[in-house]
Amino acid sequence: MHPLNAIEQLACPDCDALLAAPRLEEGEKAICPRCVAPLLSHERNALHRTAAFAAAAALLFAVSNCFPFMTLRAGFRESEMLLWQSASGLGAEGYAYLGVAVCFFILIAPMLLIGGLLYLVLPLLRNRRLPGAILLCRWVLAVRRWNMIEVFLLGALVSLLKLGKLASLTLGTSFWSFVGLILCLTAALASIHPRELWGRLEASKP
Amino acid sequence: MSEFDPKSAAAHGLALCHVCGLVSPVREEQCPRCGGGLHLRRRESVQRTWALTIAALVLYFPANLLPVLRVESFAGAQQNTIMGGVIQFWQEADYPVAIIIFVASVVIPVIKIIFIVALCLASQTGRRPRTMTRLYRVTEFIGRWSMVDVFVVAILVAVVQLGSTISIHPGAGALSFAAVVVLTMFAAMSFDPRLIWDAAAQSEDAAAPSEVVMR
Repeated sequence: MHPLNAIEQLACPDCDALLAAPRLEEGEKAICPRCVAPLLSHERNALHRTAAFAAAAALLFAVSNCFPFMTLRAGFRESEMLLWQSASGLGAEGYAYLGVAVCFFILIAPMLLIGGLLYLVLPLLRNRRLPGAILLCRWVLAVRRWNMIEVFLLGALVSLLKLGKLASLTLGTSFWSFVGLILCLTAALASIHPRELWGRLEASKP
Repeated sequence: MSEFDPKSAAAHGLALCHVCGLVSPVREEQCPRCGGGLHLRRRESVQRTWALTIAALVLYFPANLLPVLRVESFAGAQQNTIMGGVIQFWQEADYPVAIIIFVASVVIPVIKIIFIVALCLASQTGRRPRTMTRLYRVTEFIGRWSMVDVFVVAILVAVVQLGSTISIHPGAGALSFAAVVVLTMFAAMSFDPRLIWDAAAQSEDAAAPSEVVMR
């Protein structure tokens, strides 16, 4: 049986309406009749899709961190910026708190998300769970809102326009893999609903 | 008459686990599936939300008045506030960028603070629960996008290391600005939209019981 159909009672997270859980067919979604909050969604191949996109995201995350994100040229001088330098640069200027925050939003949070998803979902494909999976799942779901890579991309585009007038700025390999990372991570998170993930974890063998 | 909306899970003594979404009796205290604490409503929700929002509002002033960026070049040092950056883009006829920064850095934080205050008030009056719940979702969604300017500062500082020609340094405004964004995100997180529905159920009982049926 699909884990979503094992749920009997639902409470809406936004308005607390107590509802009997509907049986969902593939491709169907359940929303709260009172406040239209999304409650459940039964996606096709949800686990496989999440696993595939998370694996692709892991690869792109590695590429994004190994190659220069942007290169600035002015006269004879050239400076390359790696992704993590946007955090360490603030630290070097005496803004350590800000540097730590930026590091968390664009490196640690996505890393936790990708690593956590893979650690949870890959064993679930064989209906198993690894030690610490329950605790990790809590962390992964909580860290979602602090992952700001798409906001960082918008920031990168703005800085491109801001500096474009002073010097020539070119986008590096890391920039393009970063765009791919955003798409893959968004797709990985969109494919699986938290309640389904929890249902599967509960049903899996340790 | 309980303080909870009679159609809610809480009125039946059932709590939704905020971590995993399992519905269990609140007397169990811990979610049997994930071990998260069970509460009928988020604790001290409105007080916490008010405290965080006021803190964000206080920091909103230094965030906008202090420079976020200091650019040193041949022409001398130049300090840039957020609004200064917007005006500069506008004068250089980069209208889309000027609008993006203006919306993300000036409009969204103000709208967020207004929305959160409206939500806190609605949790007392219970007016228009559906609209207010939608407002809550919008508030949750837009929160992170105000971080754009902080990232712009981070990138500019990192990429410009051309000591002899120009150098760029972060300003205190950037730190206050990041604090505003993080505080409003925490404020939205600590708010419990279910309180609006509790208040709505109460005022419905008091006024006309058969007037509105939310289905």
